[in-house]
Amino acid sequence: MKISLNNDTGEIRGAAERIDAYCASHGVPADVAYAINLAVDELLTNTIDYGYDDDGAHGLEIVLRMDGSVVVVEVADDARPFDSSRTTAPDTAAGLEERSIGGLGLFLVHELMDEVGYRRDGGRNIVTLRKRAVAAGGRRVSDSR
Amino acid sequence: MDIATERRDGVLSVLVSGRIDGSNAAAFEEAAKAAMEDSDRAVVMDLEKLSYISSAGLRVLLMIAKSLSGRGAKLVLCSLSDQIREVVEISGFDKIIPVRASRADALASLDA
Repeated sequence: MKISLNNDTGEIRGAAERIDAYCASHGVPADVAYAINLAVDELLTNTIDYGYDDDGAHGLEIVLRMDGSVVVVEVADDARPFDSSRTTAPDTAAGLEERSIGGLGLFLVHELMDEVGYRRDGGRNIVTLRKRAVAAGGRRVSDSR
Repeated sequence: MDIATERRDGVLSVLVSGRIDGSNAAAFEEAAKAAMEDSDRAVVMDLEKLSYISSAGLRVLLMIAKSLSGRGAKLVLCSLSDQIREVVEISGFDKIIPVRASRADALASLDA
């Protein structure tokens, strides 16, 4: 499934509904769908808020597919080159006063997904997420469909 | 995103419903700050009806916790869904902001 959207964070909610629907129709547990939505949201929000050198309209694209019991998501944009597969963990052991605000989004993407890949291709950033569709209890997704 | 507030004994309870993402985190921050008063000794964020929160919303919770702590007041979170609890724990926020199972637990923890 392919979802196209503009560089407007207000469009992320609509994309999330389509990702939920795709996951539900492919037997992907709700908690896995939630994690995928959060990861996609964080990538899109990073790009839309910080990725562009101009104020113009830009298109972003999300492609979802199943690879066996793994959900594969590609998020593509034409923003400045940015490698989302590299991240520095925020200091989650810091106290309230010391805890800094930045870097949390990309950290969540890496924590929630099994794999985060990046390539620059034809002037686009393409981030590939892979997440096994296994419910929180460790139950494998059924092949009933 | 909507909030509904209730104040008792200097404790402001804020019921947050809907979703908080990058598109409305600023509106959430504004609404929460508008509801808070300097005389509040604590704020309980009741997330029972919150379906989704991204790092943009978590940042707002952290900023509220810091600003309350700066004047000797406290933020408590309660009634988190499993998914939101997981994200709060991964972020390490449960180590710096108290998380309670229910609003009653949260309020009881604030009784002097």
